[in-house]
Amino acid sequence: MTHSVPNAGPVSSGQESSVQESSQKDSLVKTPVVVCRGVKRIYQQDSVPVHALRGVDLEIQEGEFVSLAGPSGSGKSTLLNSIGGLDGFDAGTVTVGGTDLGALNSAELAELRLHKIGFVFQAYNLIPVLSAQENVEFILQLQGVPSQQRRERATEALASLGLGDLAHRRPGELSGGQQQRVATARAIVTKPVLLLADEPTANLDSKTTSELLEVLQQLNQQQGMTIVTATHDPIVMGFTSRQVAMLDGEIHQDTGSTG
Amino acid sequence: MSTLVLLFNLSLRNILRYRRRNFFLFAAIAVAVGGTTLSNSLIRGWQVSMLETAVSGLTGHIKLQAPGFADDPSLQRAFSSDTQISLSQQIPVAGVTQRINLPAVISSERETRGVALVGVVPTQEDISLYRDLEIEGEGLTGANDGRLLIGKALAQTLQTRVGRRVVIIVQGADGKSRERGYRVSGVFDAPMRWPEKVLVFTGLDALQGTLAGDGLRDPITEISVVLSNEGDRAAAAAELAAAHPSLIVQDWRQMQPQIAEIVDMVEGVMVIWFFLIMSGLTFGLVNTLIASVMQRTQELGMLRALGMNKRLLLVQVVLECVGIMIVGVVAGLALGIVMVLALGDGIDLSAFSESVEAIGISTLLRPVLTVEDLLLFGGLSVLVGFFASYFPARRALKISPLMAMNR
Ligand SMILES: Nc1ncnc2c1ncn2[C@@H]1O[C@H](COP(=O)(O)OP(=O)(O)O)[C@@H](O)[C@H]1O
Ligand SMILES: [Mg+2]
Repeated sequence: MTHSVPNAGPVSSGQESSVQESSQKDSLVKTPVVVCRGVKRIYQQDSVPVHALRGVDLEIQEGEFVSLAGPSGSGKSTLLNSIGGLDGFDAGTVTVGGTDLGALNSAELAELRLHKIGFVFQAYNLIPVLSAQENVEFILQLQGVPSQQRRERATEALASLGLGDLAHRRPGELSGGQQQRVATARAIVTKPVLLLADEPTANLDSKTTSELLEVLQQLNQQQGMTIVTATHDPIVMGFTSRQVAMLDGEIHQDTGSTG
Repeated sequence: MSTLVLLFNLSLRNILRYRRRNFFLFAAIAVAVGGTTLSNSLIRGWQVSMLETAVSGLTGHIKLQAPGFADDPSLQRAFSSDTQISLSQQIPVAGVTQRINLPAVISSERETRGVALVGVVPTQEDISLYRDLEIEGEGLTGANDGRLLIGKALAQTLQTRVGRRVVIIVQGADGKSRERGYRVSGVFDAPMRWPEKVLVFTGLDALQGTLAGDGLRDPITEISVVLSNEGDRAAAAAELAAAHPSLIVQDWRQMQPQIAEIVDMVEGVMVIWFFLIMSGLTFGLVNTLIASVMQRTQELGMLRALGMNKRLLLVQVVLECVGIMIVGVVAGLALGIVMVLALGDGIDLSAFSESVEAIGISTLLRPVLTVEDLLLFGGLSVLVGFFASYFPARRALKISPLMAMNR
């Protein structure tokens, strides 16, 4: 990662960089990276409606490191999935980097995920038949980045997460913490406007949890990466700059932007 | 392009990943494709053998006869041996032969049988089954050799042998029967049994002398033409018909319609046989691939979550399926070729000679492998792979990005 100035990370795709540039020029009035307005999500479970989100309003500014806390079933994953364009919602609006997700079809959502959002999942979700390096390059390849540049950027991303020596190992040959760091390298190598992590440390012990969180904190502080992570782990919350607590599909508490 | 390389790479590694399962799949495909290659080469061999038999009997590719001879074969419906056969240059001819071919009765001291008495010019007969006869005693020395060459089976029936005399009764040009004694110069063994029972050869000139009447000087009853390429048959027949309007020109398909029908059926039989085997195989392939997709629901969901679109996911599943098929098919074709080579000398069916002849082939069944057949069935197999990939691909398309989240 060559960018040390916060908020300066360009997006790889050309058409989206114009959005980014305008927000840079107009740095006094920052456009939030994420805007949720009255977001509702109702699942039908055995024809009984389950209100997973009951009207969520949330704004996340560029450069924030947000933890989404709350008990199991409170709607953290549902909210992250809506913001990440992985799942639809039944009412309200979600805007990411200025794009209204409600207006996109599934192919456009896939495109948005590919170019604008980085994901880290609870179950590391690496491609088992590819090496760490190949896993990271994979997403660049989907973006159509030329091979030379792909190799350089993947190498750089892995190195920044302290994985330089393990680049040629396959996921099966890595520890849980190492795999999650590879997943993080994969998520940031595209320089997304937003990094979403759904309980990324749930399968890690406290030592590797701290290590991963240090890496995320560094990304946030040194590169201005906007990060939202769902968790119910107090260690994780300790690393974040803003804590949002959910309960029964609503935002229950928000420490707000400390800016 | 680079995306396709990526997907290809990924498919290949996924194939290698489930080594055990895919090995069994490969083996099943290879055995099935190898088996069909072998069986199809035998069917093809049967076809070629039938065709050869049909042509190399006394028919040739094309036969010219006088009108009405087929219904009333007698020397009154003969034509002149001066008849010239010439074909245009682009139709190469393997040989032309003139004959008298008449029904006759042959008698020894013990038995009497109906036969076909064939007057031949031995040097012209290198295009007919005459060429393949194994002769005990002496063959005919020329067209003026007035001795007889009879089949082994007939010799047994008549209880006669080389050097003995037999009597032949045949109708002459004047409509009257001629009865004449002949010496048996040789007894022949043919690749098939029917000629040994019914064909009796003698020199053409000698026979003309015996049968002569007031009519034609050197009568013949048929001219048989063998072409270098069976594909020229129709064109050659048309030319000959135009050149000889007073004669009936028929090709072997018209003279032996049942054999023609069977020969035509062979392609159909091969394709049906292929699809029978392949449908069983496809069932296994589809099941295995669906299992492989289901097993990777989370992984494929993750690819969708990362932003891989449905089209690429589809291509990946299809590549995997077709990849397995291609490797299996190539191995199968190789296996088939090896088996065919091992059988190169053919299968000896002489133990079943009676029934084998009923289906129109000689007692040695040689597999025939053509590049066209290999390409056709290899190509069809890959098509089957595409078809089979439809089902796992459809399953893969139902996987939503949310499935990455399970567990
Ligand atoms: N696909 C689904 N079908 C039905 N109900 C669901 C589905 N996903 C989540 N839910 C329900 O929605 C609520 C919120 O779930 P979730 O967002 O996963 O909570 P959290 O991540 O905070 O544990 C829970 O009651 C859960 O049972
Ligand atoms: Mg959750």
